[in-house]
Amino acid sequence: MSEAVNPSQGVGRAGLGGPLIAISALLLVAVCLFPFLWMGLSSIKELKELYTIPPRWWPDHPTLANYHKVFFESRIPRYFLNSIVISVGSTGLALALAIFAANGFARFNFRGKAFWQSCVLIGQLLPTAAIIVPLFVTLRVLGLVNTYWGLILVYMIITLPLSVWMLTSYFKAIPIELEEAAIVDGASRVGILFRITLPLSKPGIIAVLVYAFITTWNEFIFALCFATDSTVKTLPIGLAEFSTEFNTDWGAVMAASMVMTIPIALLFILFQKHFIGGLTSGATKG
Amino acid sequence: MHSKAGLANPGLLFVLPALLVLAMLIAYPVAYTGVLSVTNDRGDFVGMSNFAAVLAPRVTTQALWNTLWWVAGSIVCQVTLGVATAILLNQQFTGRALLRSVTLIPWVIPSIVAATTWAWMFHTEFGIINHMLTGVGVLPEPIGWLTRGTTVLPAMIAINVWKLFPFVAIMVLAGLQSIPGELYEAARMDGASYWDEIRHIMLPQIRPVIAAVTLLLVIWALNAITIIYAITKGGPANRTLITPIQIFRLAFENVEFNQAAALSVLFFAVVMVIVFTYIKVVASQPGEVQ
Repeated sequence: MSEAVNPSQGVGRAGLGGPLIAISALLLVAVCLFPFLWMGLSSIKELKELYTIPPRWWPDHPTLANYHKVFFESRIPRYFLNSIVISVGSTGLALALAIFAANGFARFNFRGKAFWQSCVLIGQLLPTAAIIVPLFVTLRVLGLVNTYWGLILVYMIITLPLSVWMLTSYFKAIPIELEEAAIVDGASRVGILFRITLPLSKPGIIAVLVYAFITTWNEFIFALCFATDSTVKTLPIGLAEFSTEFNTDWGAVMAASMVMTIPIALLFILFQKHFIGGLTSGATKG
Repeated sequence: MHSKAGLANPGLLFVLPALLVLAMLIAYPVAYTGVLSVTNDRGDFVGMSNFAAVLAPRVTTQALWNTLWWVAGSIVCQVTLGVATAILLNQQFTGRALLRSVTLIPWVIPSIVAATTWAWMFHTEFGIINHMLTGVGVLPEPIGWLTRGTTVLPAMIAINVWKLFPFVAIMVLAGLQSIPGELYEAARMDGASYWDEIRHIMLPQIRPVIAAVTLLLVIWALNAITIIYAITKGGPANRTLITPIQIFRLAFENVEFNQAAALSVLFFAVVMVIVFTYIKVVASQPGEVQ
């Protein structure tokens, strides 16, 4: 974001005082970072170090035993694979549908456009708990309970509305003259979409991809209801039942938490700029 | 906007697949919930008896109160902390970009991971929170944060606040950065202090952002089963049972689909009333902005 001109600071005056900034910045770092650090520290502690009173800050004998347990003695690797399949599948499907829908909303006029656009947005405001029961019944009728496809489809509910919304604002920002020139040259609407609009809105597409992947990777409630078989269970469910499977072996739980967090953290660090940019521009343009 | 006769149809065609998927996954289930709520498990019409059955037990009222506390407590703290953080991040100082990234960590961490990590930190005997608080003398002895009726819901709210205040901060920061510089200059001519600027320029200017974000937070809080379910499943003694979890338990533990549907209808109605009142009130505010 803009480092250059923000007049609240520029004109030779600090606003908040230096010490106040320093103290609150430190506090903020501690609050945000500490639970994550504690998770990491706990994951490399031996069992007897975890269960001492009072708790130790640093491990005397750092160990990877907890990770060994997670990777070789639990179902976490399988759940990890399930999570990847389901997140990639639903992200891809949401993106494909959203690209066309956003293009339609951004570049065409048709009857009831405003109405359909607000319908999509209301999808985002829906209390998901209220539709769990009928969704379950529907999936059961379709034979999709405990399948990859069931979860992939259901995740459209949480990824599609915001994806359409974010991409529409991106597509609108592309100068229309480029597309009109292509129409004159005889390009088809789909051709224009794929050869002109999409390459120009790469940041928006990345933002949507990252957003959709992170939300589906983290999703818990739908997975809890619609994936009860260990062949399709996702990581969040695996993590939740870890405590019973091992009678709450906190070292292993913390190691599994790390395993689940790292892909998301990497994705986020790599694409942070696109992601935040896409999200905030969608919000402020409304 | 751009419109040419003859291009009317392709637009609808582009939009149609997404609308069909959403209709199948949202509109149909919503309608079907209504049907389920007035029938029994053989599909016979039973009038309002499911509603009566679900409203009778005291636990339903308790869950409603818990939900209100959960939503209100979460949102007040999330917005306050988020705005304060945004104002801090809007200052110019070294390491600001790094601090902004660090702030986002709680938001990026999966909810279930936040739940397990905080559950471990709140652990009565081995938890670091009790250790720190007794160490500096705030607490005379360790507290069973997650097992005591009076502390468990506030603990859940604290986790939810930690998880989502960064989102508020980033959104509000974007709003702060789009405030035109002339406003500050004019205020400075009048000799305004920094606190005056916060009160009379920043807060009024970011009100639309806060309004939009608050609505999202309400929806998220109403959907947020993960943290509570993963830690307490609604216990101890239903002290953290919120309505969404009650729906889930009715449907998948008691296998009372029709009662769960009736509760869903009630929940849905309450949520929609809240959402529309909120939109109405916010939209009818005299806008100082734009």
